Amino acid sequence: MIDCNISLLGDDAVCLRPADRAHRHALAQALRTSGRWLDVVPGKEIVAVRFDPFMCAPSEAVAQLKDWLKSYEEQSSGTGEPIELTLDTSSANAPDLEALAQQNNLSTDAFLQKVIQSDLVVDMLGFTPGFAYVDGVDKSLVAERLSVPRVRVPAGSVGLLSGQIGLYALGGPGGWPIIGRVHERLFDAKRHEPFLLQAGQPISLKLVGG
Amino acid sequence: MSFVVTKPGLQVTLQAAPRHGLRHMGVPASGPADPLSMALANRLVGNPPDACSLEIPFGMFSLAAQADAKIAMTGAPVTVRINGEAKPMHQTLSVRAGDAIELGSAEAGARVYIAVAGGFTGTTFLGSTSTYLPAAFGGYEGRALKSGDVLAVSASDVDPGHLETPEHMRQVFSHGFALRCVPGPDESLIAGWDKKQDFVASRRADRTGIEVTGSWPRLQKTALRPSAPIFPGGIQLTPSGAAFILLQDAQTTGGYPHVLQVTHADHHVLGQIRPGDRIQFLKRTPEEAADDLREKVAFFRSWIPDLRL
Repeated sequence: MIDCNISLLGDDAVCLRPADRAHRHALAQALRTSGRWLDVVPGKEIVAVRFDPFMCAPSEAVAQLKDWLKSYEEQSSGTGEPIELTLDTSSANAPDLEALAQQNNLSTDAFLQKVIQSDLVVDMLGFTPGFAYVDGVDKSLVAERLSVPRVRVPAGSVGLLSGQIGLYALGGPGGWPIIGRVHERLFDAKRHEPFLLQAGQPISLKLVGG
Repeated sequence: MSFVVTKPGLQVTLQAAPRHGLRHMGVPASGPADPLSMALANRLVGNPPDACSLEIPFGMFSLAAQADAKIAMTGAPVTVRINGEAKPMHQTLSVRAGDAIELGSAEAGARVYIAVAGGFTGTTFLGSTSTYLPAAFGGYEGRALKSGDVLAVSASDVDPGHLETPEHMRQVFSHGFALRCVPGPDESLIAGWDKKQDFVASRRADRTGIEVTGSWPRLQKTALRPSAPIFPGGIQLTPSGAAFILLQDAQTTGGYPHVLQVTHADHHVLGQIRPGDRIQFLKRTPEEAADDLREKVAFFRSWIPDLRL
């Protein structure tokens, strides 16, 4: 049993909020394995469990989860295999790098060194297929969302917000300032394993270009 | 058995059952924006409710049949012509090799569905044939149809005979929609939102969501949240003051405040809202919403016994 708040999320999902967010992934994994739920999705702080309200009334879904939690014992979810990604910071691939470095009173080289020397780990996937939220960015680096999101950032773009990196697996709209682009394909529908990354996986970045 | 696309329409896609169980990898549900209309079309040709069908935004789409087949159209009302002759929606239609099938433009409602006996064939990816355009997978090469595309059909051993959707089960489309909704986790940010309901669907509408403009309360500061899971039917309010109702292809996580949630029972209605339509929200509790859903599904199950919404 872990300390966890449970509440409804709309009429077809339940929100589980563990007191310690570090419990999210093991909790989500165990709920997924139970096979009872349509989708089990971690966010930055919560785990959402989606149910079919035709099969199960909302109050019943909450009651079932409360009951399930009583006998829940956390299994270590372990850490993923570390992976190295190649970060291309040539100017065409890093439209916001210079401005961000300046805002932080650093040269672009010093800024990038702080990024790659951070203890980076995939916190979760979400948003679009294969998009990775990466935690652990050096806390001294400050970055905010663009005031006007870009209509299109290319696949592989690396966005930076204070404390985290977002890896854009697909080309598409994007609101994070972009500091480079990784060469690896983060999502490839034609590959045997379409998703390159998974939650819990440590990441190192190798700089090229620039 | 196949059809050839002769007029491609606006982002026509193959849709089938949604993808479940992969949102934690960022993979949305996809599937028909109006699953009820798709199920009604499939019923008329003897298919299961989620057999792979064509989803056609606003009509304006044409096909040529390359063999004899049974087909049916449902959803937003359009004129249907086969070799120039007007045909009804909501009925089983027999087409012969060489027939030209033409859909006119929808004036109310947003999406037309065409089902064929046996179902269209498409690429199955991560457990579903539904097209997801942003990542180009499922359906027909993961993309919207083009002129000249050849749509193959699975063999069917069921003869549906001639069927018509019961009159009282046909949705009536106008330019106003009443959507039932329950509070989202951030509803307190928009206290008093329902006093003045002047909400209108804007031009920003596709399979990921519909922007709804109107007198939404202003968010204080930038009320962004840590990224949290969000599902179809979720209504997010953005700092610019507009709301987005999320549809089948929407992102799986988001940081905008989640203020309301369109009830599960009314998700199928979202697929028929078009730019300029007026929207009114009706407040429900989650338990009332589940009753609404059971009532609606029971009503349609007298005609489609295995319907899920």
